[in-house]
Amino acid sequence: MTDFLYPFIESEERDAPALLADLARSAESKARQSAELRSVTLSTQADVIARAADAMATRFAAGGRLFTFGNGGSATDAAGAAALFMSPLEGHPLPARSLADEAVVTALGNDVGFGIVFSRQLIAYGGERDIAFGVSTSGSSENVLAAFGEARRRGLLTVGLAGFDGGQMAVSPDVDHCIVVAADSVHRVQEVQAAVTLALWEAVRRALGAPSAPVTGR
Amino acid sequence: MTEHFEGDEVLGPLAADLATASLALARRFAAGATLWCWAPGAPQHAQHVAVEFVHPVIMGKRALPAAAITGAGDDAVDALRSLVVPGDVITVLDADGDRRVNAVLRRAASWGVSTIWIGAGERPAAGAASHVLWRDGDPARAMYDGTVVLVYHLLWELTHVCFEHPGLLQEQPDDAAEVCITCADEAGVAEVVDVGAGTATVRTAGRMEHVDTSLVDTVACGDLVLVHAGTAISIVDESR
Repeated sequence: MTDFLYPFIESEERDAPALLADLARSAESKARQSAELRSVTLSTQADVIARAADAMATRFAAGGRLFTFGNGGSATDAAGAAALFMSPLEGHPLPARSLADEAVVTALGNDVGFGIVFSRQLIAYGGERDIAFGVSTSGSSENVLAAFGEARRRGLLTVGLAGFDGGQMAVSPDVDHCIVVAADSVHRVQEVQAAVTLALWEAVRRALGAPSAPVTGR
Repeated sequence: MTEHFEGDEVLGPLAADLATASLALARRFAAGATLWCWAPGAPQHAQHVAVEFVHPVIMGKRALPAAAITGAGDDAVDALRSLVVPGDVITVLDADGDRRVNAVLRRAASWGVSTIWIGAGERPAAGAASHVLWRDGDPARAMYDGTVVLVYHLLWELTHVCFEHPGLLQEQPDDAAEVCITCADEAGVAEVVDVGAGTATVRTAGRMEHVDTSLVDTVACGDLVLVHAGTAISIVDESR
């Protein structure tokens, strides 16, 4: 199994090693940008993360549930957020689920339109003790904004996770707490949104009375 | 959280590992491969990798075939066995390396596919996958704090950089590891597909072969055996 270590010994492409060196430099540079963006974001957004976590803890303590949603990679990040609360690294589960159920989303998208695939679900599921958690790197995904509007009408707490300049989410009156990862690369935004989500979960746990020591691994 | 200081390397040796894996993956894509994405403990990551490749976030980048295996549970090994064709790539996103992960990674060579294992924490043994893309840190947190997401984002980005160098996309012989085990002077891993009297049909390097099993104990479908010159010489111990 050493073939991957020396894939170019027989290569006639003499500049493959140069490409590999470029790729490695590029990877390190982007990883550094991601690390720096994470550090800056967790600092600049610390207050809004703390306020959102306190409000979420209040809802959880009252029996509320967390509904998460987003599109594409943000759908998977929303699913990861639900998994983090529902199957936590430590402590008790908190009720959470992603709205990416394929039967429901395709039924709504096909029969009505993609703009309502999340808002229509909040009509069905959402109550005034619950929490709507929407993820959009642009901050302006139509169906995420529509879901926040519906959540507002139904009394849910609304927490948004956005990138770039926060987009529509940052100025929407329907979003109680908007956390912005201020960068213009979707990938770097998503990497840091994951770190923000973990910080949010940790802060919710603390607000609910869990020990403040950092979670350690298995 | 790992603090970052100016001047530190963030990735260390992982940067070179990513470069090598990305070029190998680009070459496989160029040759028609599908990337199968599997994250047994965190299926959202498998779906995230798939959507990155299928629907590139940067306009103008080509859509590449990547698909997530989700919801298969303990049947994921069977699902992957059925879906892969020789030349494909399986990426496993998992920091634990449980029984199912080991079963898939051990069988990959017999299916004729290469593997990219992404995770964090204690690094797997050398050779556990064709490419091991590993980060430092707590393995459980790494699945949630963006640590693992960064690795597959970089894999995607670097793979597309490779597509800007079409002259380098021709697969090299070593990439494919296409070796006829009956001719080569080494044993190859094979998965038993059908059992006869003193013989078995096995899948090895993605091809079916008939082998003599009289030197080993009774074999069953799904067993891994080492084959040399048309003969099964041992059954792989999968108890670990």
